[in-house]
Amino acid sequence: MKTYNSKFALAALLGLVPASYLSAQDSYLSEEDLYNEEIIAEADIYDPIETVNRYTFEFNDFVYMNVLQPIVDGYTAITPDPVEEGASNFFNNLKYPVRLVGNLLQGRLKGAWIETGRFAINSTVGIAGIMTPADAVDGFAPIKSEDVGQAMGSWGIGEGPYLVLPLLGPSNLRDLGGLIGDRAVNPLKEPFSVINDWNWEWRLALTSSEFIATSPSLMERYKQFKGSAIDPYSSMKNGFTQYRRGAVAE
Amino acid sequence: MLDNLFRALLVASLLVGASVSAEEVEREKLQATIDAALDVIYSDCCTSLSDEAKQAKVREAVEASYDLDVIIRRAIGRNWKLMSESEQAEILDLVKQLVLKAYVKGLNGKDRPVVTLGEVIKVSEKRMEIKSTVVLDKTTFYVLYRLARMESGWQVYDIVAENVSVVSNYREQIDDHFRKGSSAELITRLKELLEKDNTNEDIQL
Repeated sequence: MKTYNSKFALAALLGLVPASYLSAQDSYLSEEDLYNEEIIAEADIYDPIETVNRYTFEFNDFVYMNVLQPIVDGYTAITPDPVEEGASNFFNNLKYPVRLVGNLLQGRLKGAWIETGRFAINSTVGIAGIMTPADAVDGFAPIKSEDVGQAMGSWGIGEGPYLVLPLLGPSNLRDLGGLIGDRAVNPLKEPFSVINDWNWEWRLALTSSEFIATSPSLMERYKQFKGSAIDPYSSMKNGFTQYRRGAVAE
Repeated sequence: MLDNLFRALLVASLLVGASVSAEEVEREKLQATIDAALDVIYSDCCTSLSDEAKQAKVREAVEASYDLDVIIRRAIGRNWKLMSESEQAEILDLVKQLVLKAYVKGLNGKDRPVVTLGEVIKVSEKRMEIKSTVVLDKTTFYVLYRLARMESGWQVYDIVAENVSVVSNYREQIDDHFRKGSSAELITRLKELLEKDNTNEDIQL
């Protein structure tokens, strides 16, 4: 018996004994351990201006639901789905320089190559980016978008305080800087605009078109998120921060 | 000596085999559960059902394999102790209804998503993660299922979609709620969310 026990102990030490042979307590997680475990992501979201952020969040929500939603409803009612999708694709394709710079700033040459290939294929075969034939081309399937804020994160710049920007929604100090960088390389915005005669009518028309074309899917997701949130502000803050931290870490 | 060594190697190889197949079993069980839940929304038998009936059927399909309480209890965390026994039971049920409502409403009018389970990562003897891709409306999402080995068997304790942990998200909301609110107010809020189509209402801080 003694010999058997010593052999068993040796086998256990060598990892040759299935967990079920060990004591019951060691073979599974207790409810206490699993339910009371600290979750790292929740602990450290720096939100020193929460009161201001919450009011901005409420203001944004009012604008989304009472101004943007009726426009989106009108747009989706009169626009066939393929046209909606084409318009959204068109504006997404034009943001290629933002994604390219985001990749290059992080040294992601493969990502830069794929984004360039997608832009070339979609802009030509896909008729100015209205369609996305690159999706079906081997090696040029869609990849996750990179931006300047992510690049800044990969350089080790901290995210800073959490911010809710008027109309634009959740952000943080680093991503606000990134947003300014993104805007600098966006061909629809100054200073690298592709439009020579950049007067306010053009600016308004393009910005409005982009906003409306990309809003239906965003509004749908926003409403779904709101419908299942106990505290929409906390949910958005946590979701945005986890998402951005994950994107930077990848 | 050699005999013992060969025996040890044989046992080790059998255990490795058993371990791999246990992970495979869990992956297949998860895939079957996801498929059964999607069948409720998309199969011919159920398309005419009301949203409430679909939610009940999805709940049945999921609870045949997993204990939904595990995810919700983990989301509630230490706040659990701030609730009375009856409040605990009520909150568990209301959150469950809320999650099922979001699931059914979220898929209404959309094509059936294609869910493909991938690599199983053995984190420890008591934890594993199953990677998956979900293709919905031509967009691919990366979803990670976290499973823990509990007394009742392997249970899903978190779902991480595009780096966003569902449990962490709800834990933050519930923690924030309990900083200034009570269990009774949480129950009221959950009932409000369930009773109204609140997505069209303005947010009240």
